[in-house]
Amino acid sequence: MSQLIPAVGFGLITASILAIAAVGFTLQFSVTNILNLAYGDIMTACAFAAYVANQAGVNIWICLVIASLFGAVFSLLLNRLVYFQFVRRGTRLFGMIIVTIAMSLIIQNVLLAIFRPTFFSYHASQGPSYNFGSMVFTASQLAIIGIAALAMLGVHLLSTRTKLGKAMRATATNPGLARSCGVATDRVIDAAWLVSGALCGIAGVAVVLNTATFSEGTGATLLVPIIAAAVLGGIGQPYGAMLGAITIGLASEVAASVINPSYKDVVAFGILILVLLVRPQGILSEVAAAKEVAA
Amino acid sequence: MSNAMQFYISTLLIYLFIDIIGVLGLNLQFGVAGIINFAYIAFVGVGAYTAAVLSLGPDHPDNFQHYLFGANLPFPLPILAAGAASGILSLLVGLISLRRLRSDYQAMVMLVLSLIATLVATNATGLVNGPAGLATIPWPLYDQLGLSPVEYQWVYVGWAGLLAVFTFLFVQGITNSPLGRTLRAMRDNDRAAAALGKSITGLRLMIFVVGGVIAGICGAVFVEFIQAWSPGSWLYPETFVFFAAILVGGTANNWGAMVGALLVPVGFLEATRFLPQIFYQGFIEAMQWVCVGLLILLFLWFRPSGLFPERPGRFRPRAGALSRPSDAPRAQGALSK
Repeated sequence: MSQLIPAVGFGLITASILAIAAVGFTLQFSVTNILNLAYGDIMTACAFAAYVANQAGVNIWICLVIASLFGAVFSLLLNRLVYFQFVRRGTRLFGMIIVTIAMSLIIQNVLLAIFRPTFFSYHASQGPSYNFGSMVFTASQLAIIGIAALAMLGVHLLSTRTKLGKAMRATATNPGLARSCGVATDRVIDAAWLVSGALCGIAGVAVVLNTATFSEGTGATLLVPIIAAAVLGGIGQPYGAMLGAITIGLASEVAASVINPSYKDVVAFGILILVLLVRPQGILSEVAAAKEVAA
Repeated sequence: MSNAMQFYISTLLIYLFIDIIGVLGLNLQFGVAGIINFAYIAFVGVGAYTAAVLSLGPDHPDNFQHYLFGANLPFPLPILAAGAASGILSLLVGLISLRRLRSDYQAMVMLVLSLIATLVATNATGLVNGPAGLATIPWPLYDQLGLSPVEYQWVYVGWAGLLAVFTFLFVQGITNSPLGRTLRAMRDNDRAAAALGKSITGLRLMIFVVGGVIAGICGAVFVEFIQAWSPGSWLYPETFVFFAAILVGGTANNWGAMVGALLVPVGFLEATRFLPQIFYQGFIEAMQWVCVGLLILLFLWFRPSGLFPERPGRFRPRAGALSRPSDAPRAQGALSK
């Protein structure tokens, strides 16, 4: 029991990071219909963008903003210059997944070639520690939780209170119908790449702030819990992804404290398999089901 | 020919035959049946580990490496066991992931499986010796044959070549049989195939297991030659070398897949291994991976059906039998799904 409560604390931080990343991942897939398996590597690229700015003497929190802008622009350009070109040329789902994997290999290894195979860390103090019962958080970890909460609130407000959010949800559910109702789906898809790319960038920096070091493969290894969280919630469901992130984050950290820390991802994978066996469409799955019928 | 040259050429030939076996197995799954198996290399890895522990002999506390299921089986048995182990694992994975899952879920689950398999093999140190991996795996029949290492390598070339030819005949046989026709129909339109009474899940599962067995044999023949195997030998990007070979050679065309195996894993990756190290250790490898990615993109862009496209079916409808030309049955290929 004495281990369990601190583990819940770690779980909250992991869940916060996962929530940002998984919501971005699932939003990207639902609106753009491209399963972007290079997502983890874009996270790494954003972490490196923040690293470069940080080395130039910029404060780490401004670096976070820079990384999210970088992620937004990078994702938009990736879609405009690569993915969309392939879609327009008639590459379908199977082919597009392979295209995103090829991009993942390219991004990861270009980063490796530029930055060399070592570990990197930011110039940032973790700040003072705060105790909540037997849970201990550093200031930057509390900030991560706060940023995640803000990001989730932002996604919620965006999708329920703004015209753009409504247009995104309409495009996700039925692009053809949305277009004939006057939604400029191309621009909505661009916006979705920007928003999800920004979330990807924030998540990339948040991961490094929590683990302190990173390398060119950091984002790719995070793909396991991100996919687990997204699938658990029903892929394409931002609220489902939040729920999935909390489940995966808490379960994997608690299990890590009980069993062995290196099996965190195995626990996430176990949950993923369980969900696929019991409820393959995920917890919240109405849109996903509707899409399958429309496809 | 000098000894060094003979070593070099025989090694490349062995690599070529082993890559051909691997590429043919994946081509059966991906090209012919349209199953996206992003964890293919994990099945190769399982085969390699199985063959390794079954030829290393029982584990001993004094050993420098520790593993489970150690045994000292005579020559062809470790390879057969490797195929069986990979096949059984394929069956388990297939039962979970191929059952009523959408293909995008399947792709994700497979990729994640590959990452997790490496993680388990690395962290469960008692299983297959953790991150250090297994070494000093004996060459099969080396002591009995009494040959010099170079001569032995040429014997191994023949053995690997024989297996490659056998695999080709087997996969080509499936591809050209009525079963192959059914598989292509399932790949091009699974609902139509199901409407004609074909069991889609059963067929996919069967091909997944057959491909898994081939992957296991590929890994076994490989590990018995290179004599060492560790989690670093089968990281998830390795699967995409096989995918690149298939896309370059020609999806669903087994001759093309063999050409792809010659061009991508052997010609492209092995040849650049001998380039001088520039900049720093690891730069060339990073660039190799970038080139594998670019190769996939370029072929999907300029020649999505590969150098040797799949031959269209011989059936030609009479003019006017179908209203629109786009309705004419033709091989759509795994990528158009």
